[in-house]
Amino acid sequence: MAVARVGRVEKGGFSAHKLTPYAFISPFYILFGIFFMAPSLIALALSLFRWDGINEPRFAQTLNYARMFNDKVFAAAVGNTAVYALASLFIVIPLALVLAVLLNSKSLRFRNFWRALYFTPVVTSTVAITLVFQILYNKDTGLFNAPLIFLGLEPINWLGDRFWAKVAIIILITWRSTGLLTIYFLAGLQSIPEELYEAASIDGASVVQRFFWITVPMLRPIILFVSIIVLLGAIQIFDEPQILMRGSGGPGNSTLTLVQYLYQRGFTRLRLGFASAVGTVIFATVFVLSLLQLRWFGVFREES
Amino acid sequence: MSDLARHRLGVALLHIVVVTGALLTMLPIAWMVYASFKTTTEIFMFPPWLPPAQWSFDNYHSLLTGWAYPFWYINSLVYAAIVTVFVLFFCSLAGFAFAKYAFRAKNILFVLLIGSTMIPFQLILIPLFVLMSRIDWINHPYSMIIPWVAPAFGIFLMRQYIQAVPSELMESARIDGASEVRIYAQIIVPLVRPGLTTLAILTFLGSWNSYIWPLMVLRGNEVITLPVGIATMASQVTGSAQPYGEMMAAATMVSVPVIALFVVLQRHFIAGLTIGAVKG
Repeated sequence: MAVARVGRVEKGGFSAHKLTPYAFISPFYILFGIFFMAPSLIALALSLFRWDGINEPRFAQTLNYARMFNDKVFAAAVGNTAVYALASLFIVIPLALVLAVLLNSKSLRFRNFWRALYFTPVVTSTVAITLVFQILYNKDTGLFNAPLIFLGLEPINWLGDRFWAKVAIIILITWRSTGLLTIYFLAGLQSIPEELYEAASIDGASVVQRFFWITVPMLRPIILFVSIIVLLGAIQIFDEPQILMRGSGGPGNSTLTLVQYLYQRGFTRLRLGFASAVGTVIFATVFVLSLLQLRWFGVFREES
Repeated sequence: MSDLARHRLGVALLHIVVVTGALLTMLPIAWMVYASFKTTTEIFMFPPWLPPAQWSFDNYHSLLTGWAYPFWYINSLVYAAIVTVFVLFFCSLAGFAFAKYAFRAKNILFVLLIGSTMIPFQLILIPLFVLMSRIDWINHPYSMIIPWVAPAFGIFLMRQYIQAVPSELMESARIDGASEVRIYAQIIVPLVRPGLTTLAILTFLGSWNSYIWPLMVLRGNEVITLPVGIATMASQVTGSAQPYGEMMAAATMVSVPVIALFVVLQRHFIAGLTIGAVKG
């Protein structure tokens, strides 16, 4: 409606301004074209070439893809990334959901204080906090092992054991991302009518029953939305494992992510065509997830 | 058990869980600050909670004198500030156009805008890097600023805020003979200040904490940014000789200003994260 009204005013003698909106939006399209669209197309094309960045690229058909899909390290990276994605879905999301319900309770004192506090990890620098976790995870003197050592138990080799190294990354990711998802759920909780809970209480539903019968079903769209955000984030994990494992893929590549794999092949080994093929796989995954997101929660919905 | 007693028990339990969780959440941050006052040897003593033999600012002192830390800090600050200013300008301008103008191909251009967020940064990492080296932007401030000043997310965010501004205000300004640029500067911008604040915080934070891009395009001890610098400290020396004391001081100085900023501006921050994203 608003737009239509402006249009009418423009017809009434403001035609000189027809170019104005284009001028206003042009910076995005110029920068996007040069720095994002063109490199994307080049990346897709480059994935069919062998290139070290110095000599002429050589056309290699789908050789890069064939090599990648036969590479055990690639398979490990996909597997690890999938583990992080599943952990985010089945650990971080339920945790954030429960936390949001707790932080939404009217009986809780200083609600805003606690909400801010739980959100703090989101704003901290990944690099800084990962180095802190490196100390906390230290096998012999780290805080996480201290209780075990005091009890005379075998300390956990957090950063050196294939299984525990993954757990260490998942703890770190959980710590950093729970607060963000809690904010989304808190926003969603505001839209659930209070009467539903009151009616359920009168019918004698317990706290747990109300959670599963009212909260979860009512929040389903947001849970779905957050799930996709979480998956998109999981596919792109780089900073945490890269720094926690000092640039390596962890013990036996047990923490290596897809993006780390891309980074290693591209910048350490200068196999730019191959790395572009990895980038294309990441792109395809993100693209599909984003389409699902747009389909379910489309920003276009309000237009139609 | 009476209903009242049960209610009280529930409330007590709620507080216990929330406070325990909060303590666990704050633990790594508190630990970082605590460790920044210890020597590296003390950080790795057992049990880990032993206080330092002497509380001192030695780590901070040697960080500021023995490392290029002040350079990193200034670099990060300057990049984040410049990018933020440009982002605010370009995003509010484009958001204004999408919110308040009817123009040809608007829908297609908007779809393209939203679609652009589907390109993961990892796909273009290599070609963008190659492009940077071809146009000699490696180690040039341009590479840290120009590609990042008109993010689609920011335009979408500003569009959401500007849509809420009544169009009548613009119309009457037009009748009074105000130019479009003037309408933008004198009507739109003052009215969407909360949106601009949100965008400013998110942009500043993103730039301040970014790691992989500056790691690739910046070379040399005095031109890198904070996260890259701190990561360099961690990798310079191997084994237990790594300067963890200084690293914790560095981490504290990176995180504390941002946390303080967040505490002051948290309302705007959270509004920006949920606007347009969650519609219930």
